[in-house]
Amino acid sequence: MSETPVWAVVALPVALGLLAYAAAVLDAAFRVPLRAALDEPLRGAARMLVQQRRATLAADRLLTRAGVVALPAAALLAAVVVPMGTVAVAPMAAGVVWFNAMEVAVWGAVWLVGWGTNSAYALVGGYRFLAQGLAYELPHMFALITAALGAGSLDLARIAAAQHGLWFAVWMPVAFAVYLISALAIAFRGPLDHPVGDDIAGGAAVELSGPDRLVWTAGRYALLAAVAAAAVPLFLGGGAGPLLPAPAWSLVKTAAVLALLVWAGHRLPVVRADRFMGVAWTVLVPAALLQMLVVGIVVLD
Amino acid sequence: MGLTGRLAAYAAARPRPFAVAVPGGTRARLLVESELRRRAWIPASGPMESALLVVCGDPGPALAGAVDAVWAGLPAPRARVAVPPDATEADVRAALDRPIGFDDIAEDHAGEHTEHTEHTENTGHEHAGHTGHGGHEGHMMGAPGGVAMAERAPDRDGLKLDVLHVPLGPVLADWPAGLRVRVAMQGDVVQRAEAEVMGGAGGGRFWDAPWLAAAAGGRVARGEAERRRAASLLDGLARFLAVAGWRGQAERARRLRDGVLAGAPDEELRASFARFARRTGRSRTLRWMIRGLGAVDRAAVERYGLAGFVARHPGDAVTRLHARLAEIGESLALLGDRTALADGEGPRGPVGSAPSAATLAALPDLLAGAELSAARLIVADLDPDPDQIGAAHE
Repeated sequence: MSETPVWAVVALPVALGLLAYAAAVLDAAFRVPLRAALDEPLRGAARMLVQQRRATLAADRLLTRAGVVALPAAALLAAVVVPMGTVAVAPMAAGVVWFNAMEVAVWGAVWLVGWGTNSAYALVGGYRFLAQGLAYELPHMFALITAALGAGSLDLARIAAAQHGLWFAVWMPVAFAVYLISALAIAFRGPLDHPVGDDIAGGAAVELSGPDRLVWTAGRYALLAAVAAAAVPLFLGGGAGPLLPAPAWSLVKTAAVLALLVWAGHRLPVVRADRFMGVAWTVLVPAALLQMLVVGIVVLD
Repeated sequence: MGLTGRLAAYAAARPRPFAVAVPGGTRARLLVESELRRRAWIPASGPMESALLVVCGDPGPALAGAVDAVWAGLPAPRARVAVPPDATEADVRAALDRPIGFDDIAEDHAGEHTEHTEHTENTGHEHAGHTGHGGHEGHMMGAPGGVAMAERAPDRDGLKLDVLHVPLGPVLADWPAGLRVRVAMQGDVVQRAEAEVMGGAGGGRFWDAPWLAAAAGGRVARGEAERRRAASLLDGLARFLAVAGWRGQAERARRLRDGVLAGAPDEELRASFARFARRTGRSRTLRWMIRGLGAVDRAAVERYGLAGFVARHPGDAVTRLHARLAEIGESLALLGDRTALADGEGPRGPVGSAPSAATLAALPDLLAGAELSAARLIVADLDPDPDQIGAAHE
């Protein structure tokens, strides 16, 4: 195993933070003029930082805080296996598996927060996320495995390298689409943000205040940035591209995917798990399996 | 104060306001919403996210109690402003400029630490607001933390499940003013529901005003009444789209509503409404999500004595979405009509009776068995006007 360069260890959290901030600005820009959107996340962070922390009666603080902290932690840990250009902070032979395991930790995080705050709306938000998980997780895993199958490796850097000339997004479009849909569901971002929906006043996060809410909110944007970043080595050729150095291409492609994901949330009404579940099992799963079959046949050839 | 003070001041420029709608305060709410847009302040989804509680109208005693409970749970730094029903634009601006501070919660610090444990959840307390903030001290002996444990009952599949008693409203975003629906929930499915409106202490029936004025003998131009009808339908549609999780489109509906009320040029309004209606009506996702919700047939219309919009358009939420869009379009076509208003058919039906009371009476049956998100969509789709019930009660 080669040494990880020091710059990568520093660059990863910085890049993740910048991407998360950019996503927050774009998110706000869909609601207010750009001039106000630029510092909206910063002012919001200041508000939550100085805000008093409040808890509901008989809330389980340990579980709630564990859930809150788990969110950014899962995002960062998922991102360590994602190569920036060709260099990942923690290159791993089974990187795809590690990445997916960190995503699954998000289930725990949302459920702990929803349950721990002892609030009816938060609990409903928790239920909704579990239901959503049942809908998206299988198609998501099939999409990941399809990319891995195409490259014959579970290492994200090798998957990226295997796409010289032809991006996986081009010759396995169904897997790419399924990945993007399920990525929104994992990061519980619109249109799949029902677990934290406005109709239940913010859902799982309804009772979070002060620094708890800040860490949670930052974690959500970081998670979205992480799943967008993983799409680049999986389907978009990694750091490959003309003129610019590989890490710059990774960043540009990640930003593009991130913008697409944020845009989707504002373009569509919320998709509820109770109706999404049917489509997930009758359309997404078979489509992902068929895609895998096609890729398998091509690879064997 | 040093760093904390400076951060708080920096944050105060965007306080994520949370507006509380009060029966009779519709005009005040519309003024507040358009001023928030002018300031580029993003509204909060729930009170815990907010530093500024804006009460739009004069709540009666019961509703005031619910607002107080929400205020008690709001984390500092914070501010609370009251906008009276007859406020002018300048009043609203002055009210929203109120400084946001730590000072008025000093007494809260005396008894406890920053970790507040005063508002409870799920205990079915009578006066709980929003998510049930403000239930105050639980009084079940021997229960953990003084909170009543959830009871159990068989659910619709015959499984034994926890039952939670949760009040929906009266302080809830995109929700009819002062409406409180007490539900017994298992998981996220509503088993039973009771609806009532907690009244305001002043203000009138804003949406019905032109018809009431005509009935009282005044001369009102048909076009002015149609302007009010279109705005009223757009207002309800905005709430519906917001509850359906389509914030951008909900905001477009509000902009249109404000444009209609402010008397923007007719041609411009019709063109931008046509674009809005096309996008809303054609959304497959929206139709997929609301199909089958709030199904009301002719028999139900008879049974509950429903009148007006809902009675004219029996069917589900999809039917009424398209009907709403069509009726708004018809009203916008009549804006220039100068003939005298002669009928009493307001946005919610005959203004002489109060059709919203019948809508409210139909809610328990329609909500039973619905998922919580479906229940919210059903309420937003039927869109009772609480001003008809509680504008000046109590």
